[in-house]
Parts: sequence; structure tokens; C-alpha cells
Amino acid sequence: MSDPVTVLVADDEPLIREVLAEVLEAEPGLTVVAVAADAGEAAELAELHRPAVAVLDVRMPGGGAWAAREIRRRSPATRVVAFSAYGDSASVDEMRQAGVTTYLLKGLPNTAIVAAVRRAATG
Amino acid sequence: MPEQSDLELLVQNVVDYAIFMLDPRGHIVSWNAGAERIKGWTAGEIVGRHFSALYPPADVAAGKPARELEVAVAEGRLEDEGWRVRKDGTRFWANVIITALRDDQGRLRGFGKVTRDLTERRAVERALDERGRLLAHLVHAQEMERRRIAWDVHDDTIQSMVAVGMRLQLLATRLTGEHQAAVTRLNDTVDAAVGRLRNLTFRLHPPGIDSTGLVEGLTRYLDQVVSGDGLTYELTHDLAAEPPPETSITIFRICQEALTNVRKHARARAVTVRLASAEQGVHVWVNDDGHGFEHAGENDPEPGHFGLIEMRERAEIAGGWCAVRGNPGEGATVEFWVPAVSRGEP
Repeated sequence: MSDPVTVLVADDEPLIREVLAEVLEAEPGLTVVAVAADAGEAAELAELHRPAVAVLDVRMPGGGAWAAREIRRRSPATRVVAFSAYGDSASVDEMRQAGVTTYLLKGLPNTAIVAAVRRAATG
Repeated sequence: MPEQSDLELLVQNVVDYAIFMLDPRGHIVSWNAGAERIKGWTAGEIVGRHFSALYPPADVAAGKPARELEVAVAEGRLEDEGWRVRKDGTRFWANVIITALRDDQGRLRGFGKVTRDLTERRAVERALDERGRLLAHLVHAQEMERRRIAWDVHDDTIQSMVAVGMRLQLLATRLTGEHQAAVTRLNDTVDAAVGRLRNLTFRLHPPGIDSTGLVEGLTRYLDQVVSGDGLTYELTHDLAAEPPPETSITIFRICQEALTNVRKHARARAVTVRLASAEQGVHVWVNDDGHGFEHAGENDPEPGHFGLIEMRERAEIAGGWCAVRGNPGEGATVEFWVPAVSRGEP
């Protein structure tokens, strides 16, 4: 059996980051290696754990876009997935410019979130 | 050819006042140069028609033209200020004096009507007076309040409900049978409520409304909302300058309502939005190629329908007007004008 896909979760809303970590952790082949509450913490933990995928809130303190750039700089192999309550074009463009290719809107079914994380890991 | 009296010449040639006569039942019997300039009809087009053609449809429905003649008959004269309609459907703010004309025996021969176009003067006065200042504050305060509510709902309520939904889905995977079905239904309920709240925040604080320019803001809104529904849009303008912020908000909000109607009701493929500087204000048309209104020829469709009241109220509070028209199969047009005069202060 191959090694599990390692995931970092970053969101300033405790309810969201806790349940997101649990949802991903419950999936076979996925393991959550770190949970962060802001952009700075996300960058530090990404550098430390080098996760395969980082799922980032867009509007957390420090900014999701900043965190995405830092993670790509400090852990270039990590794929970054945006997880946002905001689907407006300005937010999506901001993350795209920071190198994020997958943009998930909060409220998607868990199965869709899990599938997107798996795709990001192999993509 | 009989020689015209000097007085007749004066009346015929004055262009700053519409001066014309009505017969005792209100039909137009004469029409001077000023009437043609202010109202747009030539004498040939209007003489013989009832003078209610000069009033907005809502005023006609309310019986205002007949009431004005009754007052003129009873009191000798009537003075009124209000919106009147031009030939092209646009409106102007009129000062109107109707005088009952009687012969030597006191028999009613008809009415003399003198009308002035005060649209621009009123726009400037309104912008500079206390009412204009209050309106600007009111519009600003309302937008701030809406934005705050939208952000609160978005950042707090929706996030919490999303987390609840995710947990319910997780829980459902660990249950079986009827418990699983019940929890799944619960999740669906939460999910639907999140969707409704998203729509609410979208309406409260639509994309583009915080843009620095009106045209840019409308473009952003059209890009996101209208294009998303498979509609094409065209936005044209000849605005000489950016309107004052409260005017921009008023225009944006009326366009938002009009475009919501197009998306929900019109079954249209294309929508055009046109903005033009006119008479110390901004004249706007939102036109679609949908199925129009069900009742032919109704200028103002069912009261309360199509958000019409909200659009009209917004325009009127700002000192302007709003009209809606559309025949079956011919699309619909929302047309409005709002004054746009800078108060020359921050």
C-alpha cells in the first residue's frame, strides 16, 4: 500500500478547521499532518511538515494568498487548494495569481472536497 | 390671411413656456413653439388629443388631470408642480398653471395652460439644500448597514452552518438505516438554508458596488451576474463625469433590481444598459429582448410586481423618476432619470 497523502488544513474559524481535518482524516489514504489558524502558522507548518496538499482559507488573518505564496516558496512540492466562503471573481483571481489551481467554495459536499484534495495530490 | 395680433405672435413664439389652450373637456386646441420645445410633440401631433397624454400613467390612473380641471373651474386657476411626460416617454419637472377661461356671460370657454420645465433648476436646488444632504447621508448609511449585515452573515452565520453541514455529513457516514437518512435530510436542510443566505448576502452587497466608478461597478456586476445566466449584455455610456456617490449607488441599485427582473422573469437572451448625461442628471435605460409584459400596452405593470415599487421609490427619493414599459413579445425597458449634481464638498 502506498504512503498516505499528507494534508495541511488552515482556517481561522475553529469549527471549520476541526471538521475539515476530521473529514479528511476519516478518508483512507489521507492523513492530516498539521492544522493552522492563520497564514503565518500555515507557512511555518508547511515548511516543517512538507505536506502533499495544503487546504487554505482565503480570508484568514495574514491572507490566504500570502500563505499560498509562502508555502510554494518554502515547500515547492506542496499543492495548494483554496477553501473559501467567497466565490467572487476578485477572490478567485487573487488566489490564482498566488499559484492556486483548485478553488473550492465552502458548502460543497464533503465528498467533493475529498475528491479535490486527492486530485490535487496526484496532479 | 388674417393678420395675427401682437399678443398671438407673442404666445406662438415664446419658447421658454409651453402656452396652449384646452377646450372645456380638456382636449388640446392650440400649441405654441414652447410647448413643442418642452414636450416634443408638434401641433399637428397633439392638437385634438386629451391633455391627460401629458401626465405620467400613474397620475392618469389616479384621476389627476380631471381633478386639476375641476379645481380650475371651481377656483378660477390651479397651480401645480410635478412630473409630466414628453413625447419620447421621458419626464420633466413642470410648473403648471391652469386658468379657467370664461366669456362675458361667465360661460366656460376652456382653459389656458402655461407650463415651465424646471427639471434642471430643481436638480441643482435639491442637491444643494438640506434634503439633498440628508439623502446623501441616508443612501450612504443604508449601504454601510447592508454591507455590515452581509459580512456578518457571510463570515459568521454561513461559516457556522457550513461547519454544521460538514459534521452532519461526517456523522451520516457513521450511521446506518433510518438514522443515516434522518441526518442526511438534516444536512440537506442546512445546505438549502446556506444557499438562501448566500443569495441574501449577494443581494445586500452585490459584487461591484464598492468599485470606485459607476461604469466599472456595473460592468463587474454584469460580468458576474448576467453572464452567469447565459445572457449577453452591452453597456454603453456617455457620462461626462462620475456622478456623486449617492447618485451612483441609486443608479446601481435600480439597475440591480431591473437586471434581477430580467434574469427571473424576462426569458431574455440579451440585455442592454445605457447611461447618458442629461438635464443635470443621469438617464438610464435597461432594455431586454425577453417576452415583455403579459398585459399589452401597460406602461406600469401590476403594482408591486417586478420590484417596480422599489425602483420607483429609489428614483423618486433621489428626486428623479422611473418608468417601465414592454408589450408582449417586444422585451421590456426600465427607464429612469436621477439628478446628479455635486454639492462641491467632500
